[in-house]
Amino acid sequence: MSSCENCRESLVLFIDNEIEDSATFNSIAFHLQECEGCRAELETERRALNLMRTLLTRSCCETAPSTLQERIAHQLHELQMQELAGFTQTEIITQYRRTEITIDGETQIEIETSHEIRRDFPLL
Amino acid sequence: MPTEISTPDSSSAGELVRVDREKESAAERTKRFERDALQYMNQLYAAALRYTRNPDDAQDLVQDTYAKAYTSFHQFEPGTNLKAWLYRVLTTTFINTYRKEQRRPQTSDSELEDWQIAESASHTSDQGKSTEDVVLENLPDSDIKRALAEIPEEFRMAVYLADVEGFSYKEIAEIVGVPSGTVMSRLHRGRKQLREKLTDYARELGYVKGDSA
Repeated sequence: MSSCENCRESLVLFIDNEIEDSATFNSIAFHLQECEGCRAELETERRALNLMRTLLTRSCCETAPSTLQERIAHQLHELQMQELAGFTQTEIITQYRRTEITIDGETQIEIETSHEIRRDFPLL
Repeated sequence: MPTEISTPDSSSAGELVRVDREKESAAERTKRFERDALQYMNQLYAAALRYTRNPDDAQDLVQDTYAKAYTSFHQFEPGTNLKAWLYRVLTTTFINTYRKEQRRPQTSDSELEDWQIAESASHTSDQGKSTEDVVLENLPDSDIKRALAEIPEEFRMAVYLADVEGFSYKEIAEIVGVPSGTVMSRLHRGRKQLREKLTDYARELGYVKGDSA
């Protein structure tokens, strides 16, 4: 295969900067310096690709509608709530102790109370 | 508030903050997600429009993408390419959910061998003359979008990811879940078909005279 053939087959990869093998890259770069025909082909190809990219980038630049932004914000909030609920739902149990002393100061009663608090978050 | 979440936190977005995911609380992770991931919403929406080809499905797809990304955000390695990661979630969600519903006939990649790919790659611009370039530049945006929508889905994704988003072949391979060689084939064939369609439109509109040889 001639070096022109080699070069032209790899032109798009060369333009896309996708030739990883440095020896291949160098041989193409070297050939392009020497060969006017391949250089012209490179420029044509590059121009075509740049034009395509310009057209696509110009056309495909829609902005997300505000309704979508709101939906996502709301959804993230819901997911966060679910996550929090997963950690705390059945864990919160408080225990406390109190001491009652009668009016005359003679009797002292200790009362121990257990009280469970359950937090319920909506799970989708 | 939507206007707030769409903008990255300017005070910290530019800084490289080391994140210890082991010690990070759920609230901190959520904040990091909002700061880093939500800024890509417009880009993901534009990509979703190309994938689904209708605004309702595109909105659903982006919403699902953010839900999945949020719930698996702890798996994302901070400091690596978040944009590519989000595109991977978007693409996987589309392939697994929306494409099944759309029931479109799929094109095959097996038609071309590697040596043929290279050949097709060298002919993106068969009639790449500057007069034609000027003509194509004058095509309305709606025609460009229509041409892209009409080429096969796999080609469309590859062209969009490479030529609009600027991802490398390797990144696209990871996003779409196919080998790099397949990406190359799809991209080159997609570009070629896209250019042919645009030239056809220009001809229909009378911008280009007759059949170019």
